[in-house]
Amino acid sequence: MLLESIMKIRRFIIVLLFLMTTCFLGYAPSFARVVTDQLGRRVRLPDNPQRMVALAPSITEIIFALGQEHRLKGVTMHSDHPEAAQKLPKVGSYVRLDLEKIVALKPDLCIAVKDGNPKKVIERLEDLKIPVYAVDARNLNTVMDALREIGQILDANESAEKLIRNMRSRIQRVKTRVSKSAHMPGIFFQIGISPIVSVGTDTFIHEIIVLAGGKNLAKGPVSYPRFSREQVISLSPDILIITPMTGSAAFEKVKAQWSRWPTIPAVQKGRIHLADPNLFDRPSPRLVDALELLSRLIHPELFEEAQ
Amino acid sequence: MTIEKPFLLKRILAAATVLSLVLLVVMFLGISMGSTDSGVKAVFLVLLGKGTPDSILDTIIWQLRLPRVLLAALVGATLSLGGLVFQALLRNPLAEPYILGISGGSAIGAISGILMGLSRFPGVSLTAFSGSMAILVLLLVMSSGQAILKKDTLLLSGVMVNAFCAAIIMFLVSITQDARLHNIIFWLMGDLSLSDIKQVAILAAILLPCFIVIFYCSHAMNLMLLGKEMAQSMGVNIKVMMVTLLVVTSLMVSLTVSQSGLIGFVGLVIPHLLRLLIGPDHRVLVPACVLGGGAYMVFCDLLARVIPKQGEMPAGVITALIGAPLFIFLLKRFRQ
Repeated sequence: MLLESIMKIRRFIIVLLFLMTTCFLGYAPSFARVVTDQLGRRVRLPDNPQRMVALAPSITEIIFALGQEHRLKGVTMHSDHPEAAQKLPKVGSYVRLDLEKIVALKPDLCIAVKDGNPKKVIERLEDLKIPVYAVDARNLNTVMDALREIGQILDANESAEKLIRNMRSRIQRVKTRVSKSAHMPGIFFQIGISPIVSVGTDTFIHEIIVLAGGKNLAKGPVSYPRFSREQVISLSPDILIITPMTGSAAFEKVKAQWSRWPTIPAVQKGRIHLADPNLFDRPSPRLVDALELLSRLIHPELFEEAQ
Repeated sequence: MTIEKPFLLKRILAAATVLSLVLLVVMFLGISMGSTDSGVKAVFLVLLGKGTPDSILDTIIWQLRLPRVLLAALVGATLSLGGLVFQALLRNPLAEPYILGISGGSAIGAISGILMGLSRFPGVSLTAFSGSMAILVLLLVMSSGQAILKKDTLLLSGVMVNAFCAAIIMFLVSITQDARLHNIIFWLMGDLSLSDIKQVAILAAILLPCFIVIFYCSHAMNLMLLGKEMAQSMGVNIKVMMVTLLVVTSLMVSLTVSQSGLIGFVGLVIPHLLRLLIGPDHRVLVPACVLGGGAYMVFCDLLARVIPKQGEMPAGVITALIGAPLFIFLLKRFRQ
């Protein structure tokens, strides 16, 4: 008897829950799309966003690449590519966003990056009723995913697919060219000058080094490992690539420092290169440019043959 | 020594009124200035409830600037009160939560909490509190027994413990390799930028009773400044009083540290300044420190927001930039 009544109550609750969910689903207004972003959050998107804020330089580049810059009303500091992005209002840096400036721009959609923008800030923006869609652009594949996602949100599917096709074929071209070489030079990619910082396995720079036919000497579980000068010398890199955040004057200084150690093969062969940090510090569609540049630095012999 | 009751009440009221006015003016400035420009008149209208609801300015003022200003006031009040209590208990003008290592202990606890991936509240607050309590117990054990009131032992232990804490913090920061590092470094310098009203309300609900407890102990603090024997003969239970005050102060300080990071010198500058202005009676000083410390912190945070053209700087930078020279100046005047 007791068991039966419990069963009855349980059935009643199930029916009630079912009714509630159907009611809720039926109630959702049809003009707004609700999608799940890369942080696993449900985001209600406006239909035709006109006042967007890009919360990282890479997002700015993606929106410009899709030809949707007319929707963009605010960007973060260091959003310097393309040139037109520099003229847009700045809302702080991507790790230190200025909430007040964002609110003042009255955005109808913010695009965030999953790793980089502090989660607290994203939550605060949600509290303030500003929709935030987070993408997870951190290497070539996920940049293409982000292009596709943002393309869908902005009704720019075609240009997204075109960009992705273009990226794919350029990557393929580099792959084919590099496969002709059996030799894989050891690369030490220096992104930090003091302390010396390089890139581990789980970074887009590692991916590009490998695709460009090099061996990343700093590979390992730590994303941005620190090195002592001694460790770098004992790794004996064939090529040193340096991306100084503070301009080319800093590069000359670092180059001079390394040149004091002639036991390093890269120093012997004069293969210490400066690379544009803007190409290598953000996972944007220009990663393909970075890949082409790097493969040329690592395998100049393959490009000479081609010409 | 004993002052007539009505006279005392008058002095408390006078000090509280003046400082409340200062606090209100500074809070209004804090609310009306920020990284986006808007006229003072528009701000007035919004504050009086006559602005257009749901306008941008409305959101900015009620949901961004107001919680921040309130948090700054609470943090300033706590830190200067913390300084006042430590200076009285240790009978040493240099005592302050930051210098004694209590703040450092909370910071170690809080950083460990952040690295463990705990939420800001209550997770990180709890680890911060355990950090500060651990340091407090360590301090008391190091200068244990009858030596509790010997000011030099405790202060010297505190200075060494603080140096040790600083080393552990640097160690934790240098082994952290991921993106959270950015947040920790900013937070270490004192960061008030991410305050929402709920967080401020929780903080206030814990801090305000602590302020009252300390006010209740303020007469005992006066007597303890006269010396251990004197205080005991006047009926003060020294051990109970010390433990109560130290635990309550550590609780307050660790809570604010876990919310806003390490902000130094507030606990030195404000109590000294107020002592110069209104004399050494703690019954007046306690409410004065709450109001004056709050006003000072709101002002420093305002400067931190307004001075840089892009973004903002950590509030701790401003408190130290103003606090340290002012402290040296005060020290010189005391000597003369």
